[in-house]
Amino acid sequence: MSPRRYRAPEVPDSTFEAVIFDWDGTAVPDRQADATAVRGRVEGLCRAGVHVFVVSGTHVENIDGQLEARPRGPGQLYLCCNRGSEVFEVTGKGPVLVSRRVASTDEDRALDRAAEGTVERLRTRGLEAKVVTQRLNRRKIDLIPLPELADPKKADIDLLADAVSARLATAGIADLAEVVALAGDAARAGGLVDPRITSDVKHVEIGLTDKSDSARFAASWLAARGVTGALVLIGGDELGPIGGVAGSDSMMLVDAFARATVVSVGIEPGGVPTPVVHLGGGPARFAELLDGQLGRRAGHRVPQIDPDPAWVVALPNVQAKERVAEALGTLGNGFAATRGSREEDGPGTSPLFLVSGVYTEDNRLVPGPTWTGLELESGHDRSTERRLLDLRTGVLVRSGNDGKGLRSMRFVSAASPHAMALRAEAVEPCLEPGDPLRPPGDTVDFEREDRGEVRMARTGQSGHEIAVATRERVGTVAGRRVVERMAAWAAGSGQKSFDDAERQLLEVEAMGFDQLLAGHREAWTGRWTDAQVVIDGDPEAELAARFSLFHLLSAASDTGESAVGARGLTGDAYAGHVFWDADVFVLPALAAIRPAAARAMLEYRIRRLPAARATAIGLGLQGARFPWESAGDGSDVTPRQVIGLHGEIIPITTGPHEEHIVADIAWSAARYAAWTGDEHFLAGAGRDLLVDTARYWSSRIRTDAEGRGHLFGVEGPDEYHEVVDDNAYTNVMARWNLSQGAKFLAKTDPASPEARRWLIQAEGLVDGWNSERGLYEQFAGYFDLEPLLMSDVAAPPVAVDVLLGPGRVAGSQLIKQADVMMLHHLVPEEVVAGSLGPCLAFYEPRTAHGSSLSPAVSASLLARSGQPERALELFRMAAHLDLDDLTDTTAGGLHLATMGGVWQALAYGFLGLRAEGSHAPRVNLEVDPCLPGAWSALGLTFVFRGHPIGVHADHERVGITCEKPLLVRVANGAPKRCEPPGATFSLTSRRNERTP
Amino acid sequence: MRATRRHLLLDVTAQRKDTMMTIVLAALDTTAAARPVLETALRFGQLIGSDVQAVHVGGGRFESIETPESLAARSEVPFRVLEGPVESALRAALGAPEVLAAVIGARATPGGRRPVGRTAHHILEHTDKPVVIVPPDAIVPSSFRRILVPLEGTEASSRPILERLWPVLAADVELVVLHVFTDVTRPAMVDRPVRDFELLGREFLTRHFPKATGIELRPGPVATRVAEVCGEQGSDLIVLSWSQDSSAGRAHVIGEVLGASSVPVLLLPVTPPK
Repeated sequence: MSPRRYRAPEVPDSTFEAVIFDWDGTAVPDRQADATAVRGRVEGLCRAGVHVFVVSGTHVENIDGQLEARPRGPGQLYLCCNRGSEVFEVTGKGPVLVSRRVASTDEDRALDRAAEGTVERLRTRGLEAKVVTQRLNRRKIDLIPLPELADPKKADIDLLADAVSARLATAGIADLAEVVALAGDAARAGGLVDPRITSDVKHVEIGLTDKSDSARFAASWLAARGVTGALVLIGGDELGPIGGVAGSDSMMLVDAFARATVVSVGIEPGGVPTPVVHLGGGPARFAELLDGQLGRRAGHRVPQIDPDPAWVVALPNVQAKERVAEALGTLGNGFAATRGSREEDGPGTSPLFLVSGVYTEDNRLVPGPTWTGLELESGHDRSTERRLLDLRTGVLVRSGNDGKGLRSMRFVSAASPHAMALRAEAVEPCLEPGDPLRPPGDTVDFEREDRGEVRMARTGQSGHEIAVATRERVGTVAGRRVVERMAAWAAGSGQKSFDDAERQLLEVEAMGFDQLLAGHREAWTGRWTDAQVVIDGDPEAELAARFSLFHLLSAASDTGESAVGARGLTGDAYAGHVFWDADVFVLPALAAIRPAAARAMLEYRIRRLPAARATAIGLGLQGARFPWESAGDGSDVTPRQVIGLHGEIIPITTGPHEEHIVADIAWSAARYAAWTGDEHFLAGAGRDLLVDTARYWSSRIRTDAEGRGHLFGVEGPDEYHEVVDDNAYTNVMARWNLSQGAKFLAKTDPASPEARRWLIQAEGLVDGWNSERGLYEQFAGYFDLEPLLMSDVAAPPVAVDVLLGPGRVAGSQLIKQADVMMLHHLVPEEVVAGSLGPCLAFYEPRTAHGSSLSPAVSASLLARSGQPERALELFRMAAHLDLDDLTDTTAGGLHLATMGGVWQALAYGFLGLRAEGSHAPRVNLEVDPCLPGAWSALGLTFVFRGHPIGVHADHERVGITCEKPLLVRVANGAPKRCEPPGATFSLTSRRNERTP
Repeated sequence: MRATRRHLLLDVTAQRKDTMMTIVLAALDTTAAARPVLETALRFGQLIGSDVQAVHVGGGRFESIETPESLAARSEVPFRVLEGPVESALRAALGAPEVLAAVIGARATPGGRRPVGRTAHHILEHTDKPVVIVPPDAIVPSSFRRILVPLEGTEASSRPILERLWPVLAADVELVVLHVFTDVTRPAMVDRPVRDFELLGREFLTRHFPKATGIELRPGPVATRVAEVCGEQGSDLIVLSWSQDSSAGRAHVIGEVLGASSVPVLLLPVTPPK
């Protein structure tokens, strides 16, 4: 930091969530001063939900004896004393020790040696100094032991500095910096490894800690509650240098507070470093700042976010992308979600509030009452607005820059599933609350009811209803109109839905906006703990990956059942229907980063087993036949036909023929169990997902005269070739399903004839392997098709069926997405050893990536096969698919499966993670990183077998953190035991394709 | 918005007074194509609420049994003869402030190879006003009620239609947008055609022409698809915006559309005249 001169005293127009300040000279003039007023402000801030940290060099009795604050929350007060060595939490009963740095005997002796050495070195230079105190973990040396300067006041710092300088000059010492350097040398000579040398001009202190330790404690404690950077106000009076030595309060400026607002109310004769705002004015000025914060809280001003570029996505601000922005800015908690529409909505917008699992009778998600509407002055200028989605804390903020002072913040609570809230402010008369609940178009019934100040509205019909209750607080503060809207939703039937919504609202209101927000931030911090992604060297990819994870974490509830549609709750496209996207793309990611949500997704399938069994019976088959598209009751809701681009009626084949979803669901259940270690699941509730699906395949297979099994008339993931025989993906997945089902049957009945039959069928099922070519044939006859390559047609991604026509493409080897390659992605142990490379070399040049599901899977496989640069190209395509609206359909909702694929590409592809390898001895986790050159390192955190794991790999080594011993195999090496808290492994061998 | 029909097709820079009479100019020659040109001008005038004036540049060999003057008289349309070279005379007439648009015949010769004659081509390139091109064999309906608007999906090409044409159209007009997927405009990904084409169409309209009655999405050569959809929809008029740059790809498409169309084609300039 470079010192700078006085600058205009500006404090951002911000509401802070935490205040960290120095005591003596900042909060009070001296330690004898009356602190009653400070106490009132501190307790008031805590009452308003602000966290307060007092940082001081002195001991707790001094601070607490003067402050005597006894806050009762919800904001907390911490006293960080003894220059970073102690932290006390102040409760209603007084300070309680939280942490204390205890010096070892050796450290204490070293401190003594350091102090004595310093005094001796000064004496040698001709300066008499003496050790005046031996405080906790530090020694204090008086540089100017004169009676008249025994206890100088902070206000007299200039005089003191002059006196000390003069005294140092007599000994030929240039300035305080030289004394500090001298003390540092003495400390290291005395045996201290990391001495902390500080000076308040009169003294030089040698310690084991300093105020940076206090700041780090505060930063860590606050970060766990979602309070970071710009949400923090730091105050001090010694932030600038004096005599060439950094001010003691500048130690509070740790990296974690790089975006904090820092103010100095001190005299600062040497100026202040960037970005400190020098206000001056002493404790009186600081009191004004605190009063300002109390006023903002009392006025219900719109809170801030920390605009950390690593965590904040700016939504598009052009009219043509308005609905794209709405989808990108969707806020959800797995139960309900609200699109990021502007509050005034209007033409060209699609505001939408959805509740998971609430479908109309014709199987579309019920649009709930829109609760985010406000009235803005007409002619409002949007061109300079910014709408920021804060991924870290799950809030959407909006700020105008047209002089109207428009700002808003909203969130859908991650801590209280039924709670939502909105605050907005603008210069009068630009903002009015308007109708708080608006009908979502004219496609559903809409009914209102008011109960006093509680406004309620309901949409839907006959038991499939969504009710929202709201209450508003409208006020005017400093010429600004402020609107606060608390809202709660309930799904149900008729009047009861209103009753439930009102009851939920009362609970929400009891918390209040600020506490609801605090709980929401903390909940999001908790979610990210097990879902971190760090991509060193590529901040753009890192932010895009976090964006994907944010929406994955928002997509599914963690209790009950969770129907995750193709676009989740981010838009009305695909009507909320559930496809294999959920089971194969979203669920594996959630099994690792939010296992409870993955379990809720499986519960959705489990509860629809009866419908799937009925479908199988209706087809004259056995077991469970899950539908290609599913909504509320589990029946097949796939459309039967569509009007083609030439006006022709085209039958839709996916419903009757894309049967692989049956095995996909079984696979997702097994994948969940493998990653979570939830053994009870497959033995209990999840068992039938494996067994009844296997039973379906058993009844579905046709055996030819030579005893080979076939699946005729199916459709694989490559939908360019609609109805084919013996699709390799379907057959191999069915084979896997039969084997797994047999395994579970045999657990309870080792002699089960049905299990035996399934194994025989699995063995006999053709799988498309062509040993002469060393390739899997995608389906019977595929190799005979026109051998077109994408290089002959157009650069992927391209909907090549649109370009060439469906007939031409169906007659060619061009494919929409990974089909055979999905086997290498999902069930590598089921495919022939060494087939990944040849199959990838054959199929990738034929892949149009005309499906949003495609790029991420290919990225994962390319990374696994040692082609990280090409993998990175496809990863970027997937990670930016919605951010860049690559498909031109993001307006209808986000592609959740792609987002799941993004995580899978990072985990399975670039990090090469795999649960429980098949080599003996059994390995818990395999790690085999393969990073592109642009990434210096990749790190993920996730939950594995119930325990948090962190994997961080660069091009040379892999670091693994764990809380339980873990058997790992790194880069196909020998299994090694990884003990908590973790270990680092060298990447001595490069990847080779895994062998089953 | 449609009530403000007098804020006609001129750019706001023209600053025409609201009280001024507005005219659609019908450029009649001495061929049989003059009749559909005049009929088109009448229908177009009706569509946008303007009067029609017929003009003829003196000279030429009479190929029709009716003279331009008698043709105009029979339809009770004011008629005047312009003097001088054809192109400069027509450009001067079109430049008059009260003239909002012109209607001219399509081809140099009926059934000829080039869709637009040299003179007409020069006029099209140099005017900032809309020009309706009429095929010589066009069958002109009693009114224009179904309009086809092919859009490529750029703001520049959509804006003139949305801002200049739409506000002046009669209220009961059906306006269908056609977007053709070409090598350049084809979608990158289509997950499920049944869903995605509906989404693509809805979003295309919202972004480019929210007032439209509906949208048709087609892959293939633009001109072919325009003709195809025009026939299917029973469109009376095709509206195209263009950059007036004959070397640009869009102009090539326009040439093909003009060459293949059996209904009048309204060309709206995108950029200021050269």
